[in-house]
Amino acid sequence: MRTLFKNGRILDPSQDLDVVGSVIVEDSQIAEVGPDIDEGGVDEVYDCTGFWITPGLVDMHTHLREPGHERRETIKSGTQAAAAGGFTTICCMPNTSPALDNAALVDFILDKAAAPEAGGVFVAPVGALTVGNEGAVIADLAALKKAGIVAASDEDAPVQDSRVMLRAMEFALQLDLPLMLHCDDRALSRGGSMNDGATSAMLGLRGVPRSAEVTMIMRNCELALNTGCRIHIMRVSTWGGVEAIRQFKYLGAPVTCEIAPHHFVFTDEAVGEFDPNFKTTPPLRTQVDIDILLQALNDGTIDCIASDHSPYAPFEVEVPFEEAPFGLVGLESTVAASLTYLTQRGVLSPLETVRKLSTAPAEVLRLDAGTLRPGRTPVAQITVVDPNKEWTFDVNRTFSRGKNSPFHGTTFQGKAVVTYCGNEIYRDPGFSDERYRLALA
Amino acid sequence: MSRSLLAVRHLEAPVLKSLVDRAAELKARVAKDGPAKPARPHVIGLLFFENSTRTRVSFEQAAFYLGHKCVNFNSSGSSLSKGETLKDTILTLKHEGLEAMVIRHNASGACALAAKHFDGPVVNAGDGQHEHPTQALGDALTLLERKGTLTGLKVAIVGDVMHSRVARSNAWLLSKLGNEVRFVGPRTLIPSHTSMLPGQVFYDLRAGIADADVVMCLRLQKERMADGMISSVSEFVRLYQVNRSSVRAAKPDAIVMHPGPLNRGIELDDHVADGAQSGVTQQVTNGVYVRMAALEWVFGEETK
Repeated sequence: MRTLFKNGRILDPSQDLDVVGSVIVEDSQIAEVGPDIDEGGVDEVYDCTGFWITPGLVDMHTHLREPGHERRETIKSGTQAAAAGGFTTICCMPNTSPALDNAALVDFILDKAAAPEAGGVFVAPVGALTVGNEGAVIADLAALKKAGIVAASDEDAPVQDSRVMLRAMEFALQLDLPLMLHCDDRALSRGGSMNDGATSAMLGLRGVPRSAEVTMIMRNCELALNTGCRIHIMRVSTWGGVEAIRQFKYLGAPVTCEIAPHHFVFTDEAVGEFDPNFKTTPPLRTQVDIDILLQALNDGTIDCIASDHSPYAPFEVEVPFEEAPFGLVGLESTVAASLTYLTQRGVLSPLETVRKLSTAPAEVLRLDAGTLRPGRTPVAQITVVDPNKEWTFDVNRTFSRGKNSPFHGTTFQGKAVVTYCGNEIYRDPGFSDERYRLALA
Repeated sequence: MSRSLLAVRHLEAPVLKSLVDRAAELKARVAKDGPAKPARPHVIGLLFFENSTRTRVSFEQAAFYLGHKCVNFNSSGSSLSKGETLKDTILTLKHEGLEAMVIRHNASGACALAAKHFDGPVVNAGDGQHEHPTQALGDALTLLERKGTLTGLKVAIVGDVMHSRVARSNAWLLSKLGNEVRFVGPRTLIPSHTSMLPGQVFYDLRAGIADADVVMCLRLQKERMADGMISSVSEFVRLYQVNRSSVRAAKPDAIVMHPGPLNRGIELDDHVADGAQSGVTQQVTNGVYVRMAALEWVFGEETK
């Protein structure tokens, strides 16, 4: 079986490749990439004229909610949403119920993700850093790594005890396992439901100060600098946080970081009249933060863009704002939001956008993904993007069980239109039959 | 046309003024004629998810004077304590024929959520730290009676501004009507970002109430002391109590107000709380009449 993706703009940051050309997939593996390749003898053709051909996108921060919270999402619905969003590899977070703190659960997730009825994307689990994500006893990281985790994290229950974190970094260093860290000093953020600012003061909502994030980023970076453990700061949201990361990178700390689209698009004013679709942790900040976060995306201080896909059942969100859970869905809007608010506005070049959505997260977690180089991934992982497609995001027409999106009703410019992971796993209805055809038919 | 009364922040000055004026008319009418006999009585649900005897009774009394019927609903022992959501409770009561809801809830924005699902008039009787519109309207009626005007006054709101829904509603109402609003209190009890609140911040009591026509004290919750937001009650008293000494910084004829219940000897001393400057009991009385005006307004009809 030979599949041709032809006449697209090939954007592969792993090879610094930005050229119009074609990609050949043969027996599920990428065989050739470039402007001058033999396009003969193919069985099926994707005409990508005017579109981008990129390495399959990688979402390093997804919640699949299974086991334990299947009303919010399942491995099946989450991986289908990932495929529809253009992702071929996703990392699922360990704050399931029970927490992903033992090898049997890692097996369970990998088996379910590989089932034929699932979305067809690769799932790379992130294991619990401490038993039960409770911040006290470090999980059996060696067994978890052997079972297949790619990083460890306590996700939205970050370790507060600095001594536990120090020990965790020492264990992780020995295993060459990166830690993914949500940075939140709970003594400072306790009780808060949105950014501590003028809007929270007006609405009478208790605030989460920037310092809750910044102080914990500084603690974790300092420990990483001292131990040498690789750490990845999840969903940075503050100008102070990104400046701290910049300084620690300069000092040589092995630190990387990510941002979620809602943090570079919306300010805390979007909470409006207590809309829980804008409640997330860390909270939406201010325009000052966004301006500096955009600079940090542009200058490379922020390495990756991640969805922070956090689905909840609708009834869980239809409660007073303060009682609503933290988190927003994102798998099916992240690419479009990145293209609309970063690429189209000149914050990132197309190649840099793809780097942050694919190659960089793969490199941070050392995944076999994020590249179009022949033979570097288990199977060909390719995403075709229509950078100019105008469309309106309707959360009621998504695969995810969660409908809590801040982007509902937003008109985007740009969309992932084909997701290919060894074979086609998603094709947008807008990618017409004329563009896709069986060569011999 | 029915409508909800969720926040003073959303209301224009003429509406606020007309509600206060109407409350004054209703006060006079009740004194003369007693309860009304409306052409069409309504059934009003009083949903108090937080205990508040004075506000609940005030609404009951207002409904009685208007000739409406109240149905009380307490959260303890209700379906909510069995796991039902606020949305489901609202939907249930709506389909049981309740025509309006008066809601108190400990979460800011809860009344807005209820209004979305009730699809009929909802009156905010205090939601979290957000707003308490009818308290502010009652305070305004008291000011109108005592000062003869609702414009051009210097108003100092003193104490725990951060956690006070009364402070927010009063600040919006009084600033919209053309008064100068000041927030006075310790840094730990004033929001750190006040640019979207209509008032100037003072951390010194005497500077904050200097030349004030109105000194509004706020209730200090006991849990603030436990949470370390004030170092001690005695320090708060020393620095922020409105008493026979500190009140001299305000105008000699300043009115001193408090939404109640009073922590006697903390926010106010007895001399001021029970003295000629106090408007506390008048605030309670007027609360009934502004709630009558509010209920009329949300039903979109004027009672005779």
